Amino acid sequence: MGVVAAAAFVGLVLGVAALVLSLSLLSGFQNHVLARLAEEAPHVLVAPAGRPDFGAAEGAAARLGALPGVLSVTPVVRGRGWITARGQAVPAVLAGREGADGITLDPAQARQLTVLPGEEVTVVSSRTRLSPLGPVPVTASLTVTEVASASTGRKQPEAILPADAARRLFGIPEGGATGFELRLADPGNAPVAAASAREALGGSSTSTTTWQEANRPLLLALRLERVVLFATVFLVVVVAGLNLAATSAVLAATRRGDAAVLTVLGAAPGVLARIFLLAGLILGAAGTLTGLAVGTVVAVALDVTHAIPLPAQLFSLAHVPFKPGVRDLLAVGAFSLLWSFLSSIVPARMASRVDVTEALRAG
Amino acid sequence: MPAEPILAVDSLARGFGDGEARLELFSGLSLSIGAGEAVAIVGPSGCGKSTLLHLLAGLDRPDAGRVLVGGRDWETLAPEPKAKWRGESVGFVFQLHHLLPELTAEENVALPLLLAGEPDARARATARELLARVGLVRQAGALPRILSGGERQRVAIARAVVRRPRLLLCDEPTGSLDAAHAAEVLDLLLGAARERAGALLLVTHDPSVAARCGTVLTLTPRGLLTS
Repeated sequence: MGVVAAAAFVGLVLGVAALVLSLSLLSGFQNHVLARLAEEAPHVLVAPAGRPDFGAAEGAAARLGALPGVLSVTPVVRGRGWITARGQAVPAVLAGREGADGITLDPAQARQLTVLPGEEVTVVSSRTRLSPLGPVPVTASLTVTEVASASTGRKQPEAILPADAARRLFGIPEGGATGFELRLADPGNAPVAAASAREALGGSSTSTTTWQEANRPLLLALRLERVVLFATVFLVVVVAGLNLAATSAVLAATRRGDAAVLTVLGAAPGVLARIFLLAGLILGAAGTLTGLAVGTVVAVALDVTHAIPLPAQLFSLAHVPFKPGVRDLLAVGAFSLLWSFLSSIVPARMASRVDVTEALRAG
Repeated sequence: MPAEPILAVDSLARGFGDGEARLELFSGLSLSIGAGEAVAIVGPSGCGKSTLLHLLAGLDRPDAGRVLVGGRDWETLAPEPKAKWRGESVGFVFQLHHLLPELTAEENVALPLLLAGEPDARARATARELLARVGLVRQAGALPRILSGGERQRVAIARAVVRRPRLLLCDEPTGSLDAAHAAEVLDLLLGAARERAGALLLVTHDPSVAARCGTVLTLTPRGLLTS
């Protein structure tokens, strides 16, 4: 019986530890992705609703900057237009920012226009002005200063140009802005900050987009990935739990003489069931707790010692990260204990229905 | 008005198997034992003595008839109250002690009290007191495997009487002991039954053991016959 119980214990330890390690690995990579997302993308985008721009941009910026947890407020003049060069034209989202010099193109835009830094492009606004020849589009000539990927979380590539040029292109008055980008001390607090921003600028005339909302598909994919991994690796724990059930059944069979004696001494079937259920639970709890400890220690050790390096040219990380999370550990522990409990029910019921006469005769 | 018997058996029948392979152990068995009585049931091996004891303790179900202990019919009791009533009213001593091997002598004796919900400290104190009565107080912390056969049987007797049951059922209690230890164990059993004004019923195939009881009955397929 000792060997059988030891095998069940080791199986459960390995299953739980494997689950903890897998989730720690996933958390390590996902945390890295989320950290980069929060680092590069604005945490809250504040835009006007039912009006083209924030006319008194500085006053609005000051009110947003005074909100708790807001580190910086960047006005942005955003609109749609085309970028043309060498007879080619590409539609683009144009973002005017203070301090920008020339125009920064996305690599895809630069490739389509076949332009390099230092060359000139013409930006065409969707707005028109009247001329003696009739309405003509508003244009601006700008020098390409940089070709760089847009930050993570943009739905589509943006071309970045000076704010003044953007205002002229889109007919925004001096000092005006079509929106503000907020950076927060705690990116996780973006929904609260967004609500405060709407309140500060007049709820009905202001809309906000948090970085979580802007990246909802990605965040959902990350969550789904976690659920699928949990379900897959939890199969190891399920198998270990079935092993535990087999062990409990062996226990019930080998100790049926003792169960019979307890019945003679006045133990009711419910008491017997509880005793054998408790035996299964103790084994399950010991295996689960040891597995959690082993998995956590190994994950932390692999992370701290940078035990698994990654090729720097392929990844933005130097080593495979392992980040065991408290919620993951609690979930693994709870599911494993629940499964151990469920696995022990049938053997416990077997033990409670012992045929006393037969068991005593068998010795 | 006569006192209600501690054990009353009426037209009991039990057999095993079906059809041609059917073996009738006994039928029409009736018996009544009152307070202070000691009854021995004798018969050859395989005549159904142990089966009869299991029926009397409510551990097995008869094919016909009924068994009342303290006026309660086992057949009318649901599993939980039946277990409770068995713990309260019946003490059982086996031929092979059937002590739990992982528990000490003291823990084995205290076990029926713990199952009844008595606090651990009080159950252990009562167990030690009983072990002293059977001369095993120094072995209270010993596991069954290091006790002799006679010592184990004395621990089993202490366990059987620890809840002060009115009915003490013994299945070949001296069967595995030598003559000296057998006499010692028998003295203890008779003493325990007398002391608690209860009833003792033992089954044995040993005439000398049976002779120590006031009444000796022989188990036959037609019931119990006075020897």
